[in-house]
Amino acid sequence: MSVLTGRKKSNIVKDWRQRPKSIEKFQFVHHFLPHPEDKKRATLLSNKAIIVYCAAMLLIAGIFRFLPKVVPGVLGYASDISVKDLLTYTNMKRKEAGFSELRLNSSLTSAAYQKAEDMFKDQYWAHISPAGTEPWDFILGQNYDYIYAGENLAKNFKNSKDVVEAWMKSSSHRENLLSPNYDEIGFAVVNGVMEGYETTLVVQFFGRPRNAAQVASVYEEQTVLEKESARTAAVSEREGEPATEGTSESVQKSVYTQAPSEEPVIDLTTATKTVSAVFGGFVGTLLALDVWYSRRKGLHKFTGHTVAHLGILILVVASIWFVLTPGIVL
Amino acid sequence: MKEKSGTHVVEYSVLLILTFIIGLLFYYFRYNHGVLIFLSGVLSFAYILWGLVHHYFEGRLTRFIAAEYIVFGVLIFLLLYTVLNF
Repeated sequence: MSVLTGRKKSNIVKDWRQRPKSIEKFQFVHHFLPHPEDKKRATLLSNKAIIVYCAAMLLIAGIFRFLPKVVPGVLGYASDISVKDLLTYTNMKRKEAGFSELRLNSSLTSAAYQKAEDMFKDQYWAHISPAGTEPWDFILGQNYDYIYAGENLAKNFKNSKDVVEAWMKSSSHRENLLSPNYDEIGFAVVNGVMEGYETTLVVQFFGRPRNAAQVASVYEEQTVLEKESARTAAVSEREGEPATEGTSESVQKSVYTQAPSEEPVIDLTTATKTVSAVFGGFVGTLLALDVWYSRRKGLHKFTGHTVAHLGILILVVASIWFVLTPGIVL
Repeated sequence: MKEKSGTHVVEYSVLLILTFIIGLLFYYFRYNHGVLIFLSGVLSFAYILWGLVHHYFEGRLTRFIAAEYIVFGVLIFLLLYTVLNF
């Protein structure tokens, strides 16, 4: 039996020597599995290959930066934020901290909408506009005479809870949110295109009216919430209609209609997370294969520690999927 | 051999504690992208340093292995940066 096997083996070796290409197809497997002869990792895990993955990720990140300049509104942040939820979560946090709940005020709400529309119109993301307009100018513009007033801003968030949580995590925003100096609040949740990206801006105005008798009633709060629902429905219907110019209504309309729909074609958060998960997952799978194959064959390679690479990669990919959330507060 | 295995446990424990602390910090600062980018850099740098120190003590530190830890460190940073940059 061993003689036959030996003869068979010598024939195979002879065949390989005569036609070296015939074994190339078997070498393909070492793109994914370690090289036992060279005591190296799979070709697709070589240092050169990792450099190529890094370059590819930089290229994709570059495309995500460049694309909005060419096709505005295609990339963006999908969101499901509502004034009602923002009010609920804000008052929940205040209640937990032992402060009184804030009442939704129509003047502060209108001021917040004007601020959000101004940011989209002049393409800025700041408390003070490039023209020097301060938050208080929007509030006073709605004839809201105040003793105390404050502003919190947020953009690119996915839901109302994350917006309030992010404000709570920042000391200056939390100070506003939990301040005993305020009685009333106003929110604006506006979709539009900012620097080429479809996004949702959230403006939160706080205030205490000079005349305590002017504090919004439950009826006023309900009216503001009903108006918000009607406004959201109107925006949804209006999208897709061509923009007209001239009136203040058309300014608002053009902001909304820069992008064809409220939701971007490609959700940037999902896209970037997918890119990282694909590259991280691919390298991680190859590393796991390396560990399994090396143990099975008893290979000792002249490389770094595969288990360490794999562990750190799992931590990174898990953080990307389960911890990182989009959104910036100001 | 036993001594080597003991050193391994200590060095891997250091890596585990390091990643656990950075994981916790990631969760705590999950809404602050500036801090998260900084933490990504710290994680990447710390991993490279761990690899170099670990292989130096093992007496197996070569240019190839040093380069391997550097490219893996860069890969880790870029995986996080691609998400945090937007």
